[in-house]
Amino acid sequence: MLDKPASALRIRERLLESERLMDETGCYDGITELKLRNQDPLKFETLHTKLRAYCVSAREMARRISASPGVREVGEMVVAIYTPEGDAIALSNGIMVHVHTMSRFIKWMIRNGYEENPQIRDGDIFANNDAFIGTVQVPDVMDVVPIFHSGKLVGWAGAVCHELEAGGITPGGDVALAQERFTEGLFVCAEKVGENDELRRDYVIRCERNLRMPIYWVLDEKAKVASCIDMRESVKALIDEIGLDYWMQVSKEFIEEGRRAQLARTRQLTVPGIYRGHTFYGHVTKGKPGYQPLGDPDWLYNIPIEMEITSDGKIKMDFEGTQPWGYHSMNCTPAGMDGGMFVTLTQHMNFEGLVNDGAWMATELKLPKGTWTNPDNEMVATATSWALLLPAYGVFQRLLSRSFIARGFVEEAFVGQVNSPMIEMGGTSQYGTPFGMAHFECAAAGSGALAIKDGLDTAYVGWNPESDMGNIEIWEQNMPMLYIGRSIVPNSGGAGKYRGGCSFLSTWLVSKTDHLRLVTSEHSSRVFDNGGLCGGYPAPTCQKHRAVRESNIFELAEKGAPLAHHTGTNPYRSELEVRLEGEHVTLEGPYITAPHKTGDVFTHSYNGGGGYGDVLERDPVKTAWDVENGFLTKEAAEGIFGIVLDEDGEGFPVANLDATKRHRAEMRAKRLARAKPVSEWIAKERERVKAADFAPEVKKMYASAIKLSPRFTRDFSAFWDVDAKSTFGVE
Amino acid sequence: MTSYSKEVIADLVAGTLPWPQTRRIMSAYKDDDRFFKYVAVLQDRVGWKDPILLPVGDHLFICQSGDERVTKCECGHSFGDYRRNWKLEAAIIVRDSEETLREIYPNSDLPDPDWMEVREFICPECGTLHEVEAAAPGYPIVHDFEPDLEGFYRDWLGKPLEPSNKGG
Repeated sequence: MLDKPASALRIRERLLESERLMDETGCYDGITELKLRNQDPLKFETLHTKLRAYCVSAREMARRISASPGVREVGEMVVAIYTPEGDAIALSNGIMVHVHTMSRFIKWMIRNGYEENPQIRDGDIFANNDAFIGTVQVPDVMDVVPIFHSGKLVGWAGAVCHELEAGGITPGGDVALAQERFTEGLFVCAEKVGENDELRRDYVIRCERNLRMPIYWVLDEKAKVASCIDMRESVKALIDEIGLDYWMQVSKEFIEEGRRAQLARTRQLTVPGIYRGHTFYGHVTKGKPGYQPLGDPDWLYNIPIEMEITSDGKIKMDFEGTQPWGYHSMNCTPAGMDGGMFVTLTQHMNFEGLVNDGAWMATELKLPKGTWTNPDNEMVATATSWALLLPAYGVFQRLLSRSFIARGFVEEAFVGQVNSPMIEMGGTSQYGTPFGMAHFECAAAGSGALAIKDGLDTAYVGWNPESDMGNIEIWEQNMPMLYIGRSIVPNSGGAGKYRGGCSFLSTWLVSKTDHLRLVTSEHSSRVFDNGGLCGGYPAPTCQKHRAVRESNIFELAEKGAPLAHHTGTNPYRSELEVRLEGEHVTLEGPYITAPHKTGDVFTHSYNGGGGYGDVLERDPVKTAWDVENGFLTKEAAEGIFGIVLDEDGEGFPVANLDATKRHRAEMRAKRLARAKPVSEWIAKERERVKAADFAPEVKKMYASAIKLSPRFTRDFSAFWDVDAKSTFGVE
Repeated sequence: MTSYSKEVIADLVAGTLPWPQTRRIMSAYKDDDRFFKYVAVLQDRVGWKDPILLPVGDHLFICQSGDERVTKCECGHSFGDYRRNWKLEAAIIVRDSEETLREIYPNSDLPDPDWMEVREFICPECGTLHEVEAAAPGYPIVHDFEPDLEGFYRDWLGKPLEPSNKGG
């Protein structure tokens, strides 16, 4: 049994009491007054800063223990300190999405009687990667340890690493081919995996025998346990200093202050009202090897979001109208949806004051049961839930940004995050050993534009604000592929007065292996899964894969002939086709094919962000710089932005301002001549809607949304003046 | 309390404030007097006198026009009552073919026009592109923003709006 909770109540009863007090008072744990803060604000702030420092330093120390380039290079780790009831008090930087998912994990154990069996004792280590208990996806493995002081439970320390190999049906962590839970990999379901500060040997053996590359997972476990012990000991020393009663009170006041600060910040930065937006995602698997025929192979997802900002500053997000869960790996659990909300808020609104679970408590998510956001079947796979989660929270960022623009805080407006497609791999390494790895250079996509400047090029992803693509040499040590190119993709940011950040593309030569499985995930086919804002265009986010099997690259190298280092800018004939001979492959994602071998060439393109504002207002001088540096092409500058570029004496592009002015006037006139009244378009389009004259996947999308959502049905019927149910044959 | 001059806010909104200064504004505590300075900057920018009540886009504003509250383009074109979706009164260009999508996406792979189209909502008077939607064919046009205008002025700004005969 539990040694002793700090309160007279058992921890499960304490959790219920805490929730009841929140319901009754509207304040966290019934803290209606911030007594300690008011008594000594400096001590209060200093203590929180100390806790944050404990977290940051524990994470940095732990990263040095890890063997995984994901954790060491790219920082795919986060740690946090919790109350005994499992609410986050302070956290490190890193993959902050998991601060709240770990909170769910701790609460799940408390609710499920872990106090009695398997018992919660000083020195115990609990691990979890089950998204229905509390994580996002199988590779996000979390470890927590209880913190005891004077024999009483006074908190928890927790850590998460994203594992690069999870032992699923396809190699890597984000197991693209998983269609049910049973093919996602190694599950650890809120399990006691260690005692007396040591991982159990039988647990380590299970990992070693069920993973393609156990060194990553096992050393990450050790790193996490080390960071948890480090935080635990720091907190215990702090309690020695400030006293147990003070700790128990101040830790709750930190969270209540976080909640109040979030509400105040919403009232300060936004405008109350209803905000709406949507995005889409195309999942195409027809004819791809390995997929079981459990549902329609190709699926178009709509992700509509309605956000309400209430007069008291609460943010409510409603996903009604989106698609049902499916037999694929992109489903998400409420824990993942909470986590997405938490990490987005942490970046966009909690940039001052205390950052903890309090901010999340000032929000509300409506996740309709049966949709991908809240599956009513716990056997579904969630291994690539970011595929839908990232586009969804990109919409949230655009909705928030509209509120910042309305309020005047234009410097905070941000067109948002995009999916950054991942490559997972496995097979035989360049050392002749079995291996598996997720390539994490995807943690450096282009960001959406801001309302005052262009987006960041190759430097942002939503899930980890520390975005980093990692060093080429480190990746090459860990996989049987050599880089022959890593290049900016021109025009890959969404066009606008301020363009979205550009993406990059990597080109590899498969080397020293006769069996390399490459699998990709989290990239949309056939539709953009992002958007622009205030006249900006979405970024081009439905890129295909290009590869050359059995290429003649070694012969070319021998002769000193030019090689292909990227795919080029001709959409109809890539540089690979121009330069290399062999079997040329162009495939929609997800990329699942027969193994590659030495001599094959493979390319992978990440995504840019959406644009902001009217393209005809883009700065010509900045655009000339963009063309000079490969972010835009000269053709795009003229054709999309109306900017005429000349060349200076040395051949560098220079804006011709007079010609630009004339060209833009012509473009604006053409735009007006081409446009028709929306009312006219609606009248014509209504006939198509009445006849349901759409592609089968589009019809299926409407029928699914209509079955699940009365509001979608009502809105669709009202907009087109049709009976949505009979139009799409829904009973 | 943090506060900036109207000139600084004007440069910030125009995107011409030097980056180090912009960065400091982003990192500092927010200025509580921002909204009315912002509106004053925008009011100077537009060529008409109707008082701006709330900006809702880069060149779109809810303003008091006589006894009506309407959504207006920066050029002065009115899209009517602010509570209605202004897009329904706009002009539209729909890109639903490889040819028209290629104009905006010259070197990337394109969406399948059977699955997605790009809709551009344009001011019918000045041709400003106000908003772009990327949506499946048949998807209803989105009403992006329905502000609680009166509640905002009353409860958050502490300056209730004069009652309006029409338009909220």
